[in-house]
Amino acid sequence: MEFRSAESVDEALAWLTELGDEAQVLAGGTDVMLQHMRREITPSVFLHIGRLDTLREITANDGMSIGPLISHRTLATDPRIARSMPALTEAAETVGSWQTQEVGTVGGNLCNASPAADTVPPLLVAGAVVELSSTGHRRNMPLDEFLVGRRSTARRSTELLTGISADAVSPGTGETYLKVGRRSAMEVAIVGLAVRLTVDPDDTVTSARVAVCSVAPHPYRATAVELILEGSHMEPDVIAEAGRALTASASPIDDARASADYRGRVMPHLLERAIGACLHRARAGRKGL
Amino acid sequence: MKLSFNVNQRDVTVDVDGAEPLLHVLRERLKLTGTKQGCDEGECGACTVLVDGRPVDSCILPAGVVAGRQIRTVESLAGPDGQLAAIQQSFVDRFAIQCGFCTPGFLMTLTALLEENPRPEETEIRGALSGNLCRCTGYSTIVDAALAATGDDQ
Ligand code: FES
Ligand code: FES
Repeated sequence: MEFRSAESVDEALAWLTELGDEAQVLAGGTDVMLQHMRREITPSVFLHIGRLDTLREITANDGMSIGPLISHRTLATDPRIARSMPALTEAAETVGSWQTQEVGTVGGNLCNASPAADTVPPLLVAGAVVELSSTGHRRNMPLDEFLVGRRSTARRSTELLTGISADAVSPGTGETYLKVGRRSAMEVAIVGLAVRLTVDPDDTVTSARVAVCSVAPHPYRATAVELILEGSHMEPDVIAEAGRALTASASPIDDARASADYRGRVMPHLLERAIGACLHRARAGRKGL
Repeated sequence: MKLSFNVNQRDVTVDVDGAEPLLHVLRERLKLTGTKQGCDEGECGACTVLVDGRPVDSCILPAGVVAGRQIRTVESLAGPDGQLAAIQQSFVDRFAIQCGFCTPGFLMTLTALLEENPRPEETEIRGALSGNLCRCTGYSTIVDAALAATGDDQ
């Protein structure tokens, strides 16, 4: 197999135009190498983009811009991410080990489109938009439209993911990512849940965003749950109804890590805990703590 | 492809398939067999080496990625006279080695940790080591050895 390492985004795009789906784009290679070694993919060219430093920048304003080559380790340790997208920090901390966090990238996590991708729910609740570039063309797409199925995205074979933008949390907004796994380290999520709540000073929910992974072919936003929470004061019966709606929105499967039934049952409990954590953070944020 | 990089302060050029795992290049072509092949799928950390000072699983790192980079393997830790590095001596002193298969990986991850943070807490040590598996020791002696190497345990 041929291995090409792009020196510029334009060079990478030219190669993608030439090769289309003959090329497998490779950033850190954690997922791609495993798939290659298991012969699940048989590209004729590995197109390495790891040297494109312009895709490795973070800018933090009201809107966040996260370069797709940012590693999980950077997501887990960068103070700008911790301040503006704390759920993403929490999610990145749970991905694999130090060794894989150094190499694995957020863009790779999105394009690989694993049902269990931890970084996706926090990006979904942050309203993330992805930028897809091909030679002479660029388009933006909401992340929830980009993910179309298990290991499947809306990326065309001539396109490269060149940017990720998202909304930072504001005062009065709290968010968290909670994950159920079998052990604390190196675990693929049994269920992963991100919640972002904005509450006004009397604790009315003015905006709710809820997203999950590992319970459907791809991570998704649970809009039915969001509608139940919005306008409420998070009374116990509202939270219970939201929990039922969350379970109803999912289509989990049985696998080696957990049964579908367990996944369904654990979701309402996770949601209740996440709402409590969001509320706590939203209040603290408003007090400027 | 012709691949040039620096390993343990030595510039090397090898003719490889860029998709070949770095681990194979180190062990089979450069005969640096200190780095071990355990699971071969990024789970156990036996193959940990440092790339520009950061720990990575070399079994799932395509060799083409390391062009121009600095690699350090366990062979780099002891001095030219065979004098062990502090973390290695600490492993010996605290009985942190049984079969020894996992040891090079643990040593490299801990080397990276101690360079980043010379006085880590026990929880930080355990966190840093979550990607290194050991079938023999039960980990306590390894954590003890790491703590001793920070000087906190004296
Ligand atoms: S041999 Fe590389 S992680 Fe196990
Ligand atoms: S000493 Fe045997 S695997 Fe660790």
